[in-house]
Amino acid sequence: MHLYFNIFGLMIPSYGLMIALGVVLANVIAIFFILKHFGLDFNDFMILEGYAILGGFLGAKGLYFIVSYKEIDWSRMLEADYFNSIMQGGFVFYGGLIMGILFVLLAGKIHKIDCISYIQHNIFLIPFIHSFGRVGCFLAGCCYGIPYDGILSVQFPEMSAAPSGIRLFPVQLVEAVCLMIIAIAMLILDRKRPAFHSLAFYLLTYGILRFVLEYFRFDAARGQFLLFSTSQWISIVMIILSFAMWKA
Amino acid sequence: MGVASLVLGIIAVVIGLFSAGSLGWLGAILAVIGIVLGALGRKDVEKKGISTAGLVLSIIGLVLCLILYIACVACIGGLAAL
Repeated sequence: MHLYFNIFGLMIPSYGLMIALGVVLANVIAIFFILKHFGLDFNDFMILEGYAILGGFLGAKGLYFIVSYKEIDWSRMLEADYFNSIMQGGFVFYGGLIMGILFVLLAGKIHKIDCISYIQHNIFLIPFIHSFGRVGCFLAGCCYGIPYDGILSVQFPEMSAAPSGIRLFPVQLVEAVCLMIIAIAMLILDRKRPAFHSLAFYLLTYGILRFVLEYFRFDAARGQFLLFSTSQWISIVMIILSFAMWKA
Repeated sequence: MGVASLVLGIIAVVIGLFSAGSLGWLGAILAVIGIVLGALGRKDVEKKGISTAGLVLSIIGLVLCLILYIACVACIGGLAAL
C-alpha cells in the first residue's frame, strides 16, 4: 500500500499512475492489435476515445456530485479554491461508463463514424483499465472492504484513506482480478465468435460482479436508496439492459 | 483544427508539468479536446503534420494530467477540512 511512488525523486500519486498506466497499455493493445485485426481507422478511434473520456469525466463527476451532495458546500462553489478542491475530489465509475458510451454514440452521429463496431471490438478495454484503477484504489487505500480477519485480509497504514488498525477484506484486489478475467474473456470471445455481443456481456458480468462486491465494501461514500446502494441500483438496470440488448 | 490541437496540447503539457495538482482537471479536458481536434485534423492530408504534433502533445498532456490529478470517489480526505 503506497499512496505515492517515489520515481526519480518525484512523488507520483499511485492511483493516478495506475490509471495512466492502464490507459497507455489499453491504447497500445488497441492501436497495434485490435485496429489492425479488425481493419478499423486510427483517427476515428482517437476521435471516439476522446469523446469517451470527455463523457466519462462528466458522467463520473456528475454522479459523484449526486451521491455526495450532502458533503458538498454548494454555497462555496464559486470560490476558486473550493471549486478546485471539489474537482479533485472524486469520481463514480458507473456515471462515467454510462455517459462515456452515450458520448461515443453522439460522436458517431456527429462525425459519421460507425461507432458500433468500435464499441464492439474495444469495449473490453474498459474492464482492462478499470482493473488497473482498482489496484490503484488498493494502493491508495480507498474503496476498502468490510472488517475481516480471515485469509488474505489486509491492514492499511495510517496515512491511507482506509481505517488503520483493523484488518479488512481486500475487495479492491478481488474486483481487479475479476475485471481482468472479464476483459480477457471478452477479448477471446470477440475474436472467436463474430456474433458475440461484447457490450451486453460486459454490462451483465460487471453488473453482477459489482452488485455482489458492494456487500463487501465498507467505505462510507456509497449512497443508499431503500435496500440497495446507488451502484447496486445501477447494476440492476445494467443487467436488465444487457438482457434487452441480447434479445434485440 | 491542427493548430487548435497543437495549442491545446501545449497548454495541457504545461499544466501537466507545473500545475496538475490543482488544475489537472482543466488540463485533462483541454488535452481530450486537443486529441479529438488532432485526430479530425489528420484526415486533412495538407495539415496532417501539425495535427499529428497536436495529437501527440495532447496525449502526453493527458497522461501527465491523469497521473497527478485523478482520484477516485472515496479519496475525499481534503474535502472535510475545507
